[in-house]
Amino acid sequence: MTRQRPLGLGTHIFVPDADAAVAFYSEAFGAAELIRHRLPDGRVLFVELAVGPDKLLLSEEIAELNALAPAALGGSPVMLLLELEDVDGAFAHAVEMGATVEMPVAEMFWGERYGIVRDPFGHHWALCTRREELAPDEVADRVPPGPTDGQWTSR
Amino acid sequence: MLRIGYIQSGHIRYGLYPTAVSSASGVPALTTAGFQVLLALASGHSHGYAVMGFVDQLTDGQIRLGPGTLYRTLARLVADDLVSESETNDPNAPHDARRRYYRLTPLGERAVREEAELMARLVDAAHTAGVLDGNRRTS
Repeated sequence: MTRQRPLGLGTHIFVPDADAAVAFYSEAFGAAELIRHRLPDGRVLFVELAVGPDKLLLSEEIAELNALAPAALGGSPVMLLLELEDVDGAFAHAVEMGATVEMPVAEMFWGERYGIVRDPFGHHWALCTRREELAPDEVADRVPPGPTDGQWTSR
Repeated sequence: MLRIGYIQSGHIRYGLYPTAVSSASGVPALTTAGFQVLLALASGHSHGYAVMGFVDQLTDGQIRLGPGTLYRTLARLVADDLVSESETNDPNAPHDARRRYYRLTPLGERAVREEAELMARLVDAAHTAGVLDGNRRTS
């Protein structure tokens, strides 16, 4: 076997209710539905969403395949990263639409304005706006001592 | 005018892509397939089959837009308001992107023009740099 250079990487998430999820991601995160396929019993096998220039695949839970949403697994260790022009506006809108604040928006040492929400289906989303173009060394110089109480402290 | 920036954005995206993506002042960034589809529509092709044929012919078969890519690309362009869609007049035609009719919106016209202007500048630079001369086809 030879090591391959992959042709792409995508994100595929599982939710309890595809209609609710598509409605939320469309309104909160500007997603657009491209394609939808159902199983014969009506469950949504997958929905392909365009999110800016990227793609998000979404499926309803299929317990027979052990394909479960975060609530059934006790949470999700994965974070989805969404870059926007106006992180504050998007963050407030997502919370209005039912997302839960996990880390309020703040200036981050790596050059972004950044905050984290949990969507109504249990997935974590980091929303950010690029503020500065920093070289890796510049970021290294700014790393604070460590996070406390779920927040980064500034130096 | 399209602004180009070298983006180093946290952990998300490294690379060269258009920064003019605001819905108020700019147009959405185009994928390669998106640009090719807009170019086909700008060239007077209006249904999916013709778009696929145009790209195939233009690139000597180097780029083939399959029906899945065509459908996704058109759906994305419609969602971004770069293309509008209408049903064919033929009642027997299948409900399929290859049979539906598409045309550029004013925003789509602007997007394909700005992308083409940018590409023209890059190709000029490629000529100046001599990178095209060695590979130029002899006819």
